[in-house]
Amino acid sequence: MPALPPSPAVTTRESPAAGVRLENLSKRFGSHVVLQDITLTIEPGEIFVLMGPSGSGKSVLLKHLVGLEAPTSGRAWINGHDATAESTRALVRMAMVFQAGALFNSLTVYDNLALFLREHRLGSEADIRTKVRHALQILSLAGTAAKFPSELSGGMKKRVAIARALVMEPQLMLYDEPTSELDPVMSATITEIIASLKDEYHVTTVVVSHDRDLALNIADRVGILMDSRLIFLGTPAELRQPQDERVARFLYPQIDLAHPRYKQLET
Amino acid sequence: MKAIITVFEGFGSTLQLLVQAASHLGSLPRQRARFIEQCYLIGYTTLPIVAILSFFIGSVLALQAGYSMQNFGAKQFIGSLVGLSMARELGPVMVAILLAGRVGSAITAELASMKVYQEVDALVTMNIPPARILVLPRLAAVLVMVPVLAIIADLVGWFGGAIVAKNVAFISIEPEAYFSVLRRYMKFQDVLNGLIKAETFGFVVVLVCCNIGLNTRGGPREIGAAVTRAVVASLILILVLDYFVTKALM
Amino acid sequence: MNQLHQTARVGLFFLLGLALTWVTFETLSGGKLFRPEGYALVAGFESLKELKEGDEVRMAGVKIGVIEKTRLAGRRAEAVLRIDAGTKIASDATASIIMAGLIGTNYVGLDLGSATAAPLAPGSEIRTKVTPDINAIMTELSALGQKLEGALGTFGTSVNGDGKNPGLFQKLDQMVTTNSVRIDATMANLQAITGKLNRGEGTLGKLINDPTLHDELVAAVGEIQSTATQAKSFVADAQGILAQVKSGKGALGALVYDEAAAQDLKAAVANLRAVSDKLAKGEGTLGKLLHDDTLFTSAQSTLRKADRALDGMGDSGPISAVGIVATSLF
Ligand SMILES: Nc1ncnc2c1ncn2[C@@H]1O[C@H](COP(=O)(O)OP(=O)(O)OP(=O)(O)O)[C@@H](O)[C@H]1O
Ligand SMILES: [Mg+2]
Repeated sequence: MPALPPSPAVTTRESPAAGVRLENLSKRFGSHVVLQDITLTIEPGEIFVLMGPSGSGKSVLLKHLVGLEAPTSGRAWINGHDATAESTRALVRMAMVFQAGALFNSLTVYDNLALFLREHRLGSEADIRTKVRHALQILSLAGTAAKFPSELSGGMKKRVAIARALVMEPQLMLYDEPTSELDPVMSATITEIIASLKDEYHVTTVVVSHDRDLALNIADRVGILMDSRLIFLGTPAELRQPQDERVARFLYPQIDLAHPRYKQLET
Repeated sequence: MKAIITVFEGFGSTLQLLVQAASHLGSLPRQRARFIEQCYLIGYTTLPIVAILSFFIGSVLALQAGYSMQNFGAKQFIGSLVGLSMARELGPVMVAILLAGRVGSAITAELASMKVYQEVDALVTMNIPPARILVLPRLAAVLVMVPVLAIIADLVGWFGGAIVAKNVAFISIEPEAYFSVLRRYMKFQDVLNGLIKAETFGFVVVLVCCNIGLNTRGGPREIGAAVTRAVVASLILILVLDYFVTKALM
Repeated sequence: MNQLHQTARVGLFFLLGLALTWVTFETLSGGKLFRPEGYALVAGFESLKELKEGDEVRMAGVKIGVIEKTRLAGRRAEAVLRIDAGTKIASDATASIIMAGLIGTNYVGLDLGSATAAPLAPGSEIRTKVTPDINAIMTELSALGQKLEGALGTFGTSVNGDGKNPGLFQKLDQMVTTNSVRIDATMANLQAITGKLNRGEGTLGKLINDPTLHDELVAAVGEIQSTATQAKSFVADAQGILAQVKSGKGALGALVYDEAAAQDLKAAVANLRAVSDKLAKGEGTLGKLLHDDTLFTSAQSTLRKADRALDGMGDSGPISAVGIVATSLF
């Protein structure tokens, strides 16, 4: 695979990629069961793509990995540390690209990217500037450094969120729908970035996406979450000829204008 | 029952937040810029309203005292009455109430929106504790700025009283006489007392407003609800604390 | 740039706060909390009355220090006076607590002492003397009322319970003529007092604000009233005289100096015949009153005391109250 030219953004990282393990993880919100008995291991350096219908609990699962949600039962481990423990975030550097961006609205794009490095005192202000500029350049955001998030388009916000995660040089990278809201070319670019980051720096990557191309092209393994369970776990090759009918219907839906789905629901 | 549990939960999480913020005290020198910004918002921009309000409170105090005292010849004591009431009670309470309305509500709105739009979650995943960069600078700023606001409130209130005492026909007390009585019956202790009270109130208001903001859940509608809750909780706490702090300082 | 602006403003604002706090501190505590200046003297009193910390110490009316502390030391109360550096207090100077007003503003007054006496060393004790305060004056006034009551009571019985000894009024004429000089003097005294009473007007408000003062006053007025009742019953006995008093100007002076009144008095006296001799011989109480100099002298000294008591009250407030009451009674 083609590698990105050596960038200043990652030269300082020596820590190994993180492994993820979920053990019988279940999550309920009140009486609403979102995740049920999920057991899953993600190897260090793997690209794992998580797919599933809207509202199936993909974002909730990602939040469990960074400790933003605590499981109702079962455990989530990151490099052998409990994901809910606060110390884990200090031991394993994790970055998450939130579905809605979650940019700091009171800070400029530049300060959004620099915040992590400044707060953890990772390099001088000059180093930080080099890294931030590089990340902005990769994502074609060079002109937006001084802008505030409210001045950006939806797709730009998403790219800033990705840039902010890149700057962190994490051991575990979580993307929540990185390519939604982006045009096809930009989607391809992001997909390339995700893949080359893994190649070059051996970062563990979990991508939540509805993007079939992305999953089939860069995933080492794919999981499909449906009806609060992991109904499929396999390689992209296996996904191309799905055995499970639910998977096939989810991945390759037929658009039948004569018998629209919403009308079938009524009967 | 549920309300009582909510109240205790509030106390618990507020104390927890305080402990968390205190544990990051060492990072304060590096957060100089944030600290200064908060000082500016909490202290400097609150000054005009504090000055205006305390001026009129002092004036009204003198007017009412003059009106009720003229009948038994004690109106020469207006100076000490305005002085003591302003310094010991009205100055601190007024500053705290203005802080709750002006600063506390803004803090809650800002933090609640950060929470609702997942900015707080982003901070947490970056291993930047919100208590460190969102709460600590505000608490430090309020501690530094409130005494300044309170002493200004006291002095402006005294002068308001003096102006009324001189210019209202049925009082007609010269400023020299007003301030001489004020000096005679007041000690710096009284002013200090008020500053301690203001400090306590201000600190509690900011802490409570931060906590309510950070504990907001749900959508944008919750931001408004959180602000209302924060201001109401602040006002209640100010008046309840007022009793106990006054008693403790006696 | 903007950040710099903000920092500058916050800095200025904070400095302003510090400056204001310092100014307030200096004005209210005179800065003496940190660096006590001058030296201390101890003054022991039986009671500090209304004296409190922060009150002034004056010598010959000039402020030379403040009361630093008041405390109870065994069976007496002590005030620690902080005297300004450079002010020397003679060792024979005496301190007393002086009322500057009726509502509890007091100061410690020092007299100059003698010029030759050595100055008091810091920390030493200064001599003190007790000065009457408003309460003491009121007590004295009440005692005076009792004395008057006693005197007039005797006077009353001498007329009332004396049926066996007529001739009283026969000699009254003589009494007035022969003792006119003495009576003159007495009346002049009385007039001077009533004059003073009348003049003292205006600060009743102050008096009423002090409840203890008020109670004292009510008690005193009660005394005076009962005395007045006595006086009235005495006067009622001499009905002819009473009529004259009423038709006259209402003051005892009129009775004595009004010609017509004197004539009526004579006529009334003429009707009572048998009294004169015993009176002349100095028998009966009234006789004694007229002939015994010591009794007269004591009556006069009582009046003088009253006079002094009134003079002693620097403030004319309560006196005007007594004055108003007394005038209406007479
Ligand atoms: N904080 C919460 N409280 C209650 N319910 C929640 C909460 N967060 C998520 N849910 C519920 O959990 C379910 C899964 O939500 P989640 O956001 O994980 O969906 P998703 O798979 O990411 O969907 P999408 O593809 O549309 O992003 C939803 O039904 C949602 O209503
Ligand atoms: Mg989602």
